[in-house]
Amino acid sequence: MMQETSPPSFSELYSAYAAGQLDPGFSLLLETQSMLRSDVRGALAVSETISGIMFETATPVAMSAGAGARALDLIDALEREEDLPARSAPSDAELAELPEPLRDAAFEAFDLAGWQGTAPGIRRMKLDVKSELEVELYRIQPNARVPRHSHGGTEFTLVVAGGFTDETGSYGPGDLAVKGPDDTHQPVGDAGEVCFALAVRDAGLKFTGVMGMIQRVLGR
Amino acid sequence: MALIAAKKCRESFSELFDFYAPRVKSYMLRLGASDNEAEDLAQDVLVTVWRKADMYDRKQASVSTWIFRIARNRRIDRFRKASRPELDADEPMLRPPDIEQPDEALDRAQIEESVRAELAKLPHEQLELLQAAFYEGLSHSEIATRFGLPLGTVKSRIRLAFGRLRGQLEPGGTDA
Repeated sequence: MMQETSPPSFSELYSAYAAGQLDPGFSLLLETQSMLRSDVRGALAVSETISGIMFETATPVAMSAGAGARALDLIDALEREEDLPARSAPSDAELAELPEPLRDAAFEAFDLAGWQGTAPGIRRMKLDVKSELEVELYRIQPNARVPRHSHGGTEFTLVVAGGFTDETGSYGPGDLAVKGPDDTHQPVGDAGEVCFALAVRDAGLKFTGVMGMIQRVLGR
Repeated sequence: MALIAAKKCRESFSELFDFYAPRVKSYMLRLGASDNEAEDLAQDVLVTVWRKADMYDRKQASVSTWIFRIARNRRIDRFRKASRPELDADEPMLRPPDIEQPDEALDRAQIEESVRAELAKLPHEQLELLQAAFYEGLSHSEIATRFGLPLGTVKSRIRLAFGRLRGQLEPGGTDA
């Protein structure tokens, strides 16, 4: 889209993700993107490996006496009451085509509340991934128009299948569109395939300074 | 790991516990948990390791990486506090994929081996920065503040080190 393609370089999102410091909504976005793009997949694999090795080589801190035995007792207790209920067969064949881990989150939402229609050919579903952000899956029929809208904050939209086009360009699987508070747009589903897109949105709590640095609004 | 999954071997679990529980505890402490919380989380993580042992796939990750992932996710579940990112204009996530390589299946074992070898060769000052980013999860600006370095230096050092760990020579990735 913008610059010439250079080798995918490092993103601080990758290390934040690997270290477990990224919001779960954004982690879902990144994991889903990694299923669609080998460059992101490779970068995440390396990042997690680095974190794993650092975890292994960090100076250990002694557990209290008898901690191991207590863990085994806990295991015994849990195994007596186990037998997880089997998951009922997913009710939507289309969703089964989505990449993991998005698929699980989508099934869960589908079983809970299902799709909500927003406009002709446009449906959406809120996903509960324990995020502080708003996380939604969109289903856009070919040639359907999402009503023109602006955003209270910033919206990140990852195309998972199919594609859409708006004033700024065309987006296909693996592409991420970012819209700031001042952008309004009217995406239209590309002809051919049904488009699925994952949107992660700042719910009113604004990302300040669009396109700045990673900001830890919520901090630790 | 195999013995725990297949035979539910308690002895192997104890060995695994003795090695990893203190490391999980160390990680939780480092990220701000209290001693009690850290101990509790370490227990919890190792119990999860036992219960999910049959899902472990050595072709997907080393034991350390796999256990770390569980620890990381447990911590997120427990504290529900994580950052919200903001993207840089040259953020790689925003770029279209490079000419899509034929999808080489990721050889995790090979990644593991080369990352380990390259990490051992990194100079201390680069290792410190990587640790802050990949273990503690600090942003580049937080790292710059902690080490009293200009932001650009932090970015280029981490990018350079990461490129090396990926086994790439990054053109133009010079240290500022």
